[in-house]
Amino acid sequence: MPRRLTLRPYVQRGSSKRLRLLPRCLQITISACILLGCGVQLAVAQQTGDEASSAADVSFNRDVLPILSANCYACHGFDEEARQADLRLDSAAGAAAGSDLGEPILVAGDPDASLLIKRVEATDDDIMPPMETGKSLSKEQQEILRRWVAQGGKYEKHWSFEPPQPPPVPEVVDIHGQPVTHPIDRFIQAKLKSQELAPSPIANDTTLLRRVSLDLTGLPPTLAEIDHYLAAAAIDREAAYREAVESLLNSPHYGERWGRWWLDQARYADSNGYSIDAPRQIWKFRDWVIDALNADMPFDQFTIEQLAGDLLPQATQSQRVATGFHRNTQINQEGGIDKEQFRIDSVFDRVATTGTVWLGLTVGCCQCHDHKFDPIQQREYYQLFAFFNNQDEPTLKVYGDSVSGEELRSELKGAYAALDQYIQDHLAEYEAWESKLTDAEVKKLADSAQKGLSMTRDKRSSEQMRELFAIEVGKISSDFQTLLQRAEELDNQVNGAATTLVMAERAQPRSTTVFIKGDFTRPAEEVQPGTPSVLHPLQADGELPNRLDLARWIVSADNPLTARVIVNRVWQVYFGRGIVETENDFGSLGVPPSHPQLLDWLALDFQEQQWSLKSLHRLIVTSHTYRQSSQVREDLRRIDPNNYLLGRQQRLRLDAELIRDVALSASGLLESQLGGPPVFPPIPDGVMGQGQVKRAWKVSVGADRYRRGLYTFVYRATPPPSLNVFDAPDGFSTCTRRSRSNTPLQALTLLNDSAFVEFASALQQRIEHEGIEAAFRRCTGRVPSDDELQILAGLDIKTAARVLLNLDETLTRE
Amino acid sequence: MREFEHNKLKIGNWHTRRHFFSRCGIGVGSLALSSLLAGESRAESLGEENPLAPKPTHFLPKAKNVIFLFMAGGPSQLEMLDYKPRLAELNGQPIPESYIAGKRFAFMDSSHRVNLLGSKRPFQQYGNNGTWISDLLPHTAQIVDELTIVKTCKTDLFNHAPAKLFMNAGTGQFGRPSMGAWVTYGLGSECEDLPGFVVLQSGPRGPRGGGVLWGSGMLPTTYQGVPLRNQGDPILNLSTPSQVTTHEQRQVIDAVRELNLKRLVETGDEEISTRINAYEMAFRMQSSAPELMDTSAESQNTLDLYGIRDPGESSFARNCLLARRLVERGVRFIQLYHTNWDHHGGPTENLEKHLPEICREIDQPSAALVMDLRRHGLLDDTIVVWGGEFGRTPMGEVRESTGRNHHIDAFTMWFAGGGFRRGYVHGETDELGFGPVSHPTHVRDIHATILHQLGLDHKRLSVRFQGLDVRLTGVDEAHVMHEALG
Repeated sequence: MPRRLTLRPYVQRGSSKRLRLLPRCLQITISACILLGCGVQLAVAQQTGDEASSAADVSFNRDVLPILSANCYACHGFDEEARQADLRLDSAAGAAAGSDLGEPILVAGDPDASLLIKRVEATDDDIMPPMETGKSLSKEQQEILRRWVAQGGKYEKHWSFEPPQPPPVPEVVDIHGQPVTHPIDRFIQAKLKSQELAPSPIANDTTLLRRVSLDLTGLPPTLAEIDHYLAAAAIDREAAYREAVESLLNSPHYGERWGRWWLDQARYADSNGYSIDAPRQIWKFRDWVIDALNADMPFDQFTIEQLAGDLLPQATQSQRVATGFHRNTQINQEGGIDKEQFRIDSVFDRVATTGTVWLGLTVGCCQCHDHKFDPIQQREYYQLFAFFNNQDEPTLKVYGDSVSGEELRSELKGAYAALDQYIQDHLAEYEAWESKLTDAEVKKLADSAQKGLSMTRDKRSSEQMRELFAIEVGKISSDFQTLLQRAEELDNQVNGAATTLVMAERAQPRSTTVFIKGDFTRPAEEVQPGTPSVLHPLQADGELPNRLDLARWIVSADNPLTARVIVNRVWQVYFGRGIVETENDFGSLGVPPSHPQLLDWLALDFQEQQWSLKSLHRLIVTSHTYRQSSQVREDLRRIDPNNYLLGRQQRLRLDAELIRDVALSASGLLESQLGGPPVFPPIPDGVMGQGQVKRAWKVSVGADRYRRGLYTFVYRATPPPSLNVFDAPDGFSTCTRRSRSNTPLQALTLLNDSAFVEFASALQQRIEHEGIEAAFRRCTGRVPSDDELQILAGLDIKTAARVLLNLDETLTRE
Repeated sequence: MREFEHNKLKIGNWHTRRHFFSRCGIGVGSLALSSLLAGESRAESLGEENPLAPKPTHFLPKAKNVIFLFMAGGPSQLEMLDYKPRLAELNGQPIPESYIAGKRFAFMDSSHRVNLLGSKRPFQQYGNNGTWISDLLPHTAQIVDELTIVKTCKTDLFNHAPAKLFMNAGTGQFGRPSMGAWVTYGLGSECEDLPGFVVLQSGPRGPRGGGVLWGSGMLPTTYQGVPLRNQGDPILNLSTPSQVTTHEQRQVIDAVRELNLKRLVETGDEEISTRINAYEMAFRMQSSAPELMDTSAESQNTLDLYGIRDPGESSFARNCLLARRLVERGVRFIQLYHTNWDHHGGPTENLEKHLPEICREIDQPSAALVMDLRRHGLLDDTIVVWGGEFGRTPMGEVRESTGRNHHIDAFTMWFAGGGFRRGYVHGETDELGFGPVSHPTHVRDIHATILHQLGLDHKRLSVRFQGLDVRLTGVDEAHVMHEALG
């Protein structure tokens, strides 16, 4: 049944308003409402305001709440301590209860009788918000409040705390009058249509193949893959595309590309941070993420293993490795510190990260006080804190997949016992040898052996005896040699195994208290583990809820947030912006979704598909919305310059690691081995000296020099410059969205960095063998135009190779 | 996507130009566009696309630039600038319990001592208002009439790295923007061929904390401090690769520009024009940065003023001279780090020998910088800040020799230029130098005051991160030190 959506004609107003706002916007640049950097949000308050300014009906959540929460709740909100005039405006009951001023705050239907309206419209010192807050309401915002009160002044629960409802999927027809079938397209195109806009046509074959390859695997297509695709597309374009998508989703590089997406959120890096910044070993966690994604581990299980894998019944080694997620916090090794202070800091970080990554909520705000904008109390924050306050932080030895560490260790013990027994059985021979030793002979022995000999036999350790025995008596016994070899082999497996940082629950729980103003030296009331009461109830297995209960609560079907937050964060990778633009704040200060029904539909579908991320990726990349051209159209530029409506795709500069990967791949140097310890590709001299402790950077030799960017060792204090300059996150706190800066230092890196010089000379050799056109295709996917070829033909080959690696197009997913 | 924001801000001219092209039909060809763009003045095109373009202030600024001379490790105010004769009288006696009850110190468990240590340095009065300064800073004493000396600085954290971060970023939390990043974010830069925020280092080792001290946190990396290095390339990857000639480098940049312009016309993506400008600026930087570092044209008189004996040698003195050259070129925020001021009394860090040595390294150049800025007419526009992450305790610390522990309740910094009051002492400490008796000045107040002089309101200079309006001055109140201004 065709269904009409009430869509706000917001873009038109948004754009005209934006022009009016331009001069103000420049001022705003240095105030709060600008979006910058990883995780910094664009508070598009003015936009939301615009939407309503001509809409007949004011919606509380869409139009009013952003104004109240940004301007009023700090003093008239949830936080009791900060509350002024005994007035709260964050609930209908609060507004009805009025203030200590007596006069009614909100009289439904009568703005002129409502003190709220009088005060925000005041022109004297009575004006709200007060001048000294630095906040003020625009005329449009005042008007919205007035109309809201006139229309009855009704409150609604914040949208993201309501469970997603299955929305009707709009019926839309395409330009040929055919029904649009893909659910994503139906939501997107319905909204476009309401603006009398059409989607863009599908991007050309090479652009699309390069786009989807980079998005799913982080690598550009090879020439053979392009040729294969073009041939297949000539026969059946749709079938060719679907085949390509399946093959990319099955590629092991999928796990690398999307693994990095998750590692950003996990604040993964290879050092301890703070000033000492010693290296640490936690790459097994990184490999766990890659493997889990490649196996399409359902996201709910993926969550549970990382937050509480150690608490699962008969937890496997792999599930313990997964708990490294919350071991990616920094460790301060500076002298003279109070260790407890920094342990508490890492727990703070775990709470904030859990809130941001899974709930899209800024729970970290409640570390010091009740949340001023969202209904979360400081006490509830410390209840969350309690889940994470009860761990030891051990290091786990990681053995091969088919091996049990316990068995290995007991086997090793057995092997040494056998050796010692052999020595016991041949003591007479040994003593004969030792008694004949001359001083000169002793002097020739290793220091450790000499030390052993200097002691009486009963003082020697079994290790020392083994050493002495092996010098002569054992050397000529093949039985002894066999036993020794086995013991050494096992020793190597046990003691040479990689380690990784994990979580382990303490037997005796620590008590958790509220900390006044977040200061750990000021404990207040004691609290038990628990979850915020505004969300669904927590079910606990045992008497005291633990991390496992928390993890299950997070991925519970009753949780209105997690699925929405995750589909939104996947979506933003494909379109450069989430459906909720403030991808880390789904609370009342966040920006409401541009397509709320699509968001709910995706969140419900994600859960229906058993939380399969691969299904979600498949769904998005097979939509027309994803496949359309990114070319800017004049009508779109005019009506929707920032592409909120997705009438086209978006050109996006590649992430830092992928810029390296593309250059490695185009120049033919890429070593595509999966996983393993981090590597040390060349970096400019002097970088490591920038930290407090100068760390060694022994450049990897052989294949490890050419591994993908995500395997480069990252010191938090001295991150690799070529990654850092392209906005790779620093691993100090969770990063849910990278910024995309565009700077001269990036140009210097691509032009002059020795690694890129090396890539260019490899590409130069390729040009010499297969011509400039093939090299152009390796970099951009497409065949160059005659004009372009002419420019390149005028250059010597070395220069041409450098030009190709520096093209904006090479660095960009179009 | 911050770029959307920037696009929005720069839509103005670009938009009309683009509109023009689209009406003519995009087919008008890249040549036309390319020549039109090339014909434009560089400043205009930069102003549109460059996130470092100068931006309007919140109110009329008193100063434009900042030079922060960071004495890394925590200099002992009691040996230099906070004269405490009473402390000397009580030398060796335990500190009265009332001073230390409830306080926390670094190294509490082991080497903390409670016996008072008087300074052995002789102090004299200088300048119009008779400011006490010790014999360790004879040159600083000569410019005392230019300075606002604040004796009651207070910070929250007592370990080096977090405290350094606190002084730079207003928080001990790693991963927040530093003051230089905030300032270049808020004001942009007036220099078209050098970064807006530059860091210079001297001393035996890097400052504790490293790159986070000049990091941009959640702000784009555009605003992070760029270390100018004394060896090799002054800026990472600045030099054209050895196997490439300047001509070839120019060829690369020209060809990249031409091809990028074609792509710009093809796609309509304004981000490409930003990239074109970035390459132009990179190319200019390749000559302007070496030119900056080449001090051979400076007169002997200037070198002598700073006490530079060998201009080729890296030193705090040379970095001070470079700071003046950077301000001349319009660089917004310059930070010098000099290590190591951590005089606990260890074998290489005592008050008897090592403190006088490091004072000799910094005293003359710091004073020279102020004088040199004055004579070049740059001091009124430039705030010079001198100080460390904290000060040192009135109690002595006896390890191998004598030193002092970290002290956060009262330490001394000085300010010059940029509208700070000349010849003025702000705040006094108690007779032992333990805490303030007047004008307590928290790090937040210092931040608020510096921003204020630059025309920025510390409450309004903020970005949203994890639900918080993150500011340099944090969530607690900060006060502009009005008495220290004007």
